[in-house]
Amino acid sequence: MNSQNSVAEERELLCAVALNAMLPLANERTLQAAYYILRGRKANQTLQDVHLYNLYPYYRMFPGFSKEDWDKIVATLFQNDYLQPCEGEGPSPKPTFLVTANGRQFAEHAYEKYGFAVWFAPFTRFDLAARIESFWQRLHLLVQTVSQLLGKDLGFVPVVMDKSVQQWVKEQVGPARLREAWEAGLSEELFRLWEPLQPQVQELLVAQLSGVSQVGKTLGQLAKQKQSSKVYLTLLFRYGLAASILRLSEEKQAFPLLSRLVVQENKLDPRLSDSAARTYALVQRGIHKAEIAAQRQVKESTVEDHLVEIALRCPEWDAADYLSSETRAAIMAASEQLQTSRLRLIKDRVGPTVSYLQIRLALARRQEESNE
Amino acid sequence: MNNEWQQQLQQHFGYGEFRPGQESIIKRVLAGKSVLGLMATGGGKSVTYQLPALLLPGITVVVSPLISLMVDQVQQLRTKRKIPAAYLNSTQEAAEAREVLQKIASGQCKLLYISPEKLQQPYVQQALKRATVSLFAIDEAHCISAWGHDFRTDYLRLPDTVKQLGNPPVLAVTATATTAVREEICSLFGIDRENVVVQTLNRANIAYDLAEVGGESERRQLTFDLIDQLAGPGIVYCSTRQAVEVLVAAYQLEGKRHVDGYHGGMNSMERMLIQTQFLAGELDVIIATNAFGMGIDKPDIRYVIHYQLPASLEAYSQEIGRIGRDGQPGYAMLLYSQDDIHLHQYMLDKEYPTPAQIQQFCQLYGAGAPPDPKALASIDMSEEMAAMLTFYTERALGKAQVSTTTEMANPVQDIWQETEKRKAVKQKKLAEMRSYVLTDRCLRKHLNQYFGESDLGFTRFCCSRCGLQRESYEGRQTALLQREVQNSWNLRQALDMLLPKK
Repeated sequence: MNSQNSVAEERELLCAVALNAMLPLANERTLQAAYYILRGRKANQTLQDVHLYNLYPYYRMFPGFSKEDWDKIVATLFQNDYLQPCEGEGPSPKPTFLVTANGRQFAEHAYEKYGFAVWFAPFTRFDLAARIESFWQRLHLLVQTVSQLLGKDLGFVPVVMDKSVQQWVKEQVGPARLREAWEAGLSEELFRLWEPLQPQVQELLVAQLSGVSQVGKTLGQLAKQKQSSKVYLTLLFRYGLAASILRLSEEKQAFPLLSRLVVQENKLDPRLSDSAARTYALVQRGIHKAEIAAQRQVKESTVEDHLVEIALRCPEWDAADYLSSETRAAIMAASEQLQTSRLRLIKDRVGPTVSYLQIRLALARRQEESNE
Repeated sequence: MNNEWQQQLQQHFGYGEFRPGQESIIKRVLAGKSVLGLMATGGGKSVTYQLPALLLPGITVVVSPLISLMVDQVQQLRTKRKIPAAYLNSTQEAAEAREVLQKIASGQCKLLYISPEKLQQPYVQQALKRATVSLFAIDEAHCISAWGHDFRTDYLRLPDTVKQLGNPPVLAVTATATTAVREEICSLFGIDRENVVVQTLNRANIAYDLAEVGGESERRQLTFDLIDQLAGPGIVYCSTRQAVEVLVAAYQLEGKRHVDGYHGGMNSMERMLIQTQFLAGELDVIIATNAFGMGIDKPDIRYVIHYQLPASLEAYSQEIGRIGRDGQPGYAMLLYSQDDIHLHQYMLDKEYPTPAQIQQFCQLYGAGAPPDPKALASIDMSEEMAAMLTFYTERALGKAQVSTTTEMANPVQDIWQETEKRKAVKQKKLAEMRSYVLTDRCLRKHLNQYFGESDLGFTRFCCSRCGLQRESYEGRQTALLQREVQNSWNLRQALDMLLPKK
């Protein structure tokens, strides 16, 4: 493939990713919803969309996206007749969109052609997108440091500037015994970890690393070298990292060294935003939301947002204090019948005795189950 | 040379000898004098405060305006020079900053790099007082002068800060200061004339070239030809990120050399990889915005091409100052067109507020200081402009408080006069830059005179006005190619390479 082709591939892939992310959002969300997901916005609305519509692989796929980048893609999608604008429903409708038959066909075709099913497979859990970056930073700096140690050349400039990552690596290679373990075992563990992956993914991971004998390449440079597109390599790269994280979490014994990379030592519950984690600590002590709001000096609606976040991410939490099983069943039935996750429509169906909080909790829990 | 200095110089910096000017600055600093040091870019300014930091009790504070530079220097001090150093700036998290402050207060730190705004925080000053500041170094000291090309309002608070910290001796260093700027620095910090140490700013090994271009395609072709022909490593400076990206993509399609781009919009790991590849000789040329180059320790850069006209002679001389720090001959090419001047003029007009904008800002400020991003967006004002206006508004209000009139005068007019003064300075810088490219006399003489330098010596060629042969800077060798991509990928082999057996 020459470079003209890789430019074309880049464009096609961007459209394909965007459109596939937008498919389940059609007629329910605005044109911007998928942009927030791909960019990895941390707002509750976005996080809930990711859950409700099962869009885990897309979350934070392109953190560097600008609004202009997105508008360009959307314009192309409209030009190619893949999308149609559409008026929303309900009392205060927001404009939404529909995916045309053409668009559906293009999305499915590209999904097949570029092997999305393979590259998206490890993204079954919510927290992976957030963990990928810190995992890669730790791994990158750790490999660089151990490589320099092995090459007996410690006058190097670290590729990762983030202080917390540097601190973590320092803790790993500081104590002599641990350092020796890393020096002796890192290469072998990496080999076993990555051996099952596709060769192109292996190469992509190794070529980006730096050490005593090589300076890592950027994704852009590798795309050029491989005459591929940066977007495609991004898919493969994220796949490789997510698969690594999953395996290390599941097989801690088999990877005594590398599994340290996936330990989350944050004292607050790492699955939650800091604020929600503080709320959760109080929830676990049996304190009611009104009192939590008073204690933490936040609005009660904020605490309700936290409860939804907890319901989404902490399967062990029992929401019975806020949501009886009957109410829950009624909400689920309404959602089924209406074929929607839109709160307003469900609320109109189930009536005024059911609160928005209850509907949100019920929907969050449904997602949790479908992932089991 | 003093024995102890020599030993420290050798042990921490790996030099047997001082470079010109270093010793006389250090001697004065260690005698407790406040000093202004002028040294050419690449002349070894940092040693003049790093070495005294080791010899003096207490802590040396280094005020530095650029966060990336700060991080680089501290990194190098710790790893290469084994000097306990730290930095404080706005990018750090609270916990990290606390840790640094504890280290300072307990005396575990010899050098602290700090941004001027961080230095204003009372708890930082307290920690520093406890550690006792024995030297207050100001890097890029020209930033304090309203005559400087790089004026930073934050720097204006530094003389007060020095007093707060118990009047330690001040070492102001810069590579680009006109006579007016020098005088201003000396009066602000009470530096005696005899303690101004000036090293020659003349760069004898650099040859200066100029070319006017008609349009974009001519500009690009000329640049690509130069990249193909000149002996590297080299840097091409562009005015915008977009220009960098377009130029890199175009060159990579047809050019012969290994070239990549660098600008502030790339993520930090990418920037670090590109920079390291350049230092390691895997890239011949970096095409970059002015974000690239500060604190880069690469002595063998053979040329710098300016794809567009820089905004000032100060910026220009700083950027070409990265050529040939090893003393070997190097080549500086400046491309310009009439459009460049118009573009700078346009950006200049946009950078400074109109009276109407100041009026709007003051209303927001009065409503509840200082305005948040949303409020700023509502009046379509950049954060940079808001920061500038905040400074002048605070100052105007402060003046109003001490004055005896009970009614506060309308500050808009005062503030506007201040910003117009700033704008006029930049306008003048642009005019100086313009006159440099339009001159028909010796470029070296023109540039050096601007900085009050009379030494005009050169090693190979002087400049295109005096006559130079560009071929003498051409060369064939290109960067060492990484081992050709192997036909069959082998994970085991690749890992053995990356992580060699002990």
